[in-house]
Amino acid sequence: MHWRLILGLVGTALAAAALFAWSGVYSVAATSGHYPFFSTFLDFALRQSVATQARGIAAPPLDDPMMIRRGAGHYHGGCAPCHGAPGEARSPVSRGMLPEPPDLGPQIGEWTPAQLFWIVRHGIKYTGMPAWPAPQRADEVWDVVAFLLRLPGMDAAAYRRLALGETEAAVARADEELRLLLLTGPTGNGLAACARCHGRDGGGDGAFPRLQGQSAEYLAAALEAYARSTRPSGVMQPVAAALDPMQIRLLAAHYAGQQPTVPNPPEVAEEDLALGGRIARDGLPDRGVAACATCHGPGPGAPNLLYPRLSGQQAGYIATQLTLFMTGVRGPEAEGPRAGIMARALGVHRERLPARPSLWPLRPDEVRAVALWYAAQPAGAR
Amino acid sequence: MRPAALLALPLAACSGQQSALAPMGPEAAGIAGLSWLLIIGGAAIFLLTMLLLLLAFRGGARLRRRLGSRGAILAGGAVLPTLLLSALLIHTLGLADALGGRSADPLRIEVTGRQFWWEVRYPDHDVVTANEIHIPVGRPVELLLTSTDVLHSLWIPALHGKRDMIPGHLNRLRFTADRPGVMRGQCAEFCGAQHTRMALFAVATTEAGFATWIERQRTAVPAPEDPLLAQGRRAFASAGCGACHALRGTEWSGRNGPDLTRIGARLSLAAGTLPNHRDALRAWIADPQAIKPASAMPGFGAVLAPADLQALAAWLGSLR
Repeated sequence: MHWRLILGLVGTALAAAALFAWSGVYSVAATSGHYPFFSTFLDFALRQSVATQARGIAAPPLDDPMMIRRGAGHYHGGCAPCHGAPGEARSPVSRGMLPEPPDLGPQIGEWTPAQLFWIVRHGIKYTGMPAWPAPQRADEVWDVVAFLLRLPGMDAAAYRRLALGETEAAVARADEELRLLLLTGPTGNGLAACARCHGRDGGGDGAFPRLQGQSAEYLAAALEAYARSTRPSGVMQPVAAALDPMQIRLLAAHYAGQQPTVPNPPEVAEEDLALGGRIARDGLPDRGVAACATCHGPGPGAPNLLYPRLSGQQAGYIATQLTLFMTGVRGPEAEGPRAGIMARALGVHRERLPARPSLWPLRPDEVRAVALWYAAQPAGAR
Repeated sequence: MRPAALLALPLAACSGQQSALAPMGPEAAGIAGLSWLLIIGGAAIFLLTMLLLLLAFRGGARLRRRLGSRGAILAGGAVLPTLLLSALLIHTLGLADALGGRSADPLRIEVTGRQFWWEVRYPDHDVVTANEIHIPVGRPVELLLTSTDVLHSLWIPALHGKRDMIPGHLNRLRFTADRPGVMRGQCAEFCGAQHTRMALFAVATTEAGFATWIERQRTAVPAPEDPLLAQGRRAFASAGCGACHALRGTEWSGRNGPDLTRIGARLSLAAGTLPNHRDALRAWIADPQAIKPASAMPGFGAVLAPADLQALAAWLGSLR
């Protein structure tokens, strides 16, 4: 008797719900808002879900100014259009969303770094908050979190310095923008996006990879790989995907044509230099690591135009890319045969990726040493 | 396939370059002799047993009584096997002793198993090559066997039995070739995806031929004058081949892959996978993963223009 009653009630409720949905009486309009208690309930569920899902995520140190600068560079293009930024109001378009993307400044303090990381990486269902375009690139997500933690109380001038870099003045002054457009034709937009982080001369501002001194062939190939999402990066994919082939060619030619500038050489300990230099020149034959310099210079002979040159490159960038190869984020699977050459030169087999950093063919301290050694080489050395 | 042809199939392996029954030296001959002794002896004992069994069923009453007597059972079941197996043991121990080799000054060759090829070094001659062991006829040879990754096993049936190659451990294998010829060997311990394509060749030549070969290996690779070959050398530099491959007398001394000093003169490419031909070499460089998946060599078809690939194959092929 009881069972019949319960089944009958459940069946009636389901039928009523189906009838309600079918009737279309319920409005899905963003303008209609939520019922008062329902929005409280949704907010509760969201916070509980983030808190639970983010459990077990350990935050790395997040006070590196280079991380903050990189995070800001992406925030300006990827997040500010909806969330706004210090001195920049949220777009009226995004404010029409339901839920409305919050102004992040006052909100950041309510979340832990791990929870922010989880939100930026995975996005939030039914809210319009997108997932990170390249979920493998946790390092990029942490850059954004490092920036977000600085966001509360940041003034407009500080934000513009961080997010716009040297293009701050150019964006502020219309004649400068026009000059950029005249200089590079239809790529004005693309270049502005590039220069915000990499600088107009490709110097990279110490936080971003230096583009000057690379071949146009390599830069174009890298942009194409980003555009096709074969080379994963949540920062570069959206930028590169917006470029047409002609713009890619022009941008690559522009940066390839820049004279390598000499940044402040990094302070590198003697033993790091010695270890890094040995690995770069001789490799580690016992672990299957080939000599970096044979392909990436410095050395005699004309290097292949499709191989990046590393002398003077920013150390953090080199170390990150090596790490991505060690962990299989980059490799022949996604990127094709060219990345296969690099994976092989590092002694990484795609069938059996090293399980933990202590098993990498180049151990983390060796990755660091070789990155520092290259960063300390005079830029443009062949 | 007709039944006769089917029966002949297993025998196909018994002739030619890679057969324990076609020995090219005294050690392999000893092993082959022992094999024949066991095969023929075993067959004789089997026939004798079957004959006795037949007699036990069909023989006359007297014969059957004699076969069942205590004396016959003792003689056939205990005394005869003991005598035969003891004789065989003594013969085998003597043979094993002889197989160990005892020459005071053998030609030492270090052979290292790698996934999936063989590195071959002549420490006394300062020569490095790959996938090919050259030996002089009549001179005792000692192979020093090890591995840098997983277990491999060297088996050149025409010269000797199998010997494991173990990471961190040195095994020795001593033999002599008593006539000139080319013998094929094979990795005989499963070592990964391309275990089957891990072969090598042993080439036995006269002392003079061996000395010439050694001298050739020790000669530096000259800079080519021919424009096509020079283009090939530039392609080698541009693609960074030297990061993994060494070429004697050049700036390239990589040790991840085979030494390529005289690759044009080798009998095969990629450890017995391909015939050594310019077109095969070009195909191999362009996309080795299509030919030998999971081999260590990455493809360079995406990095080198077709003309450069062609020139590179021509130049490497000219290193004879």
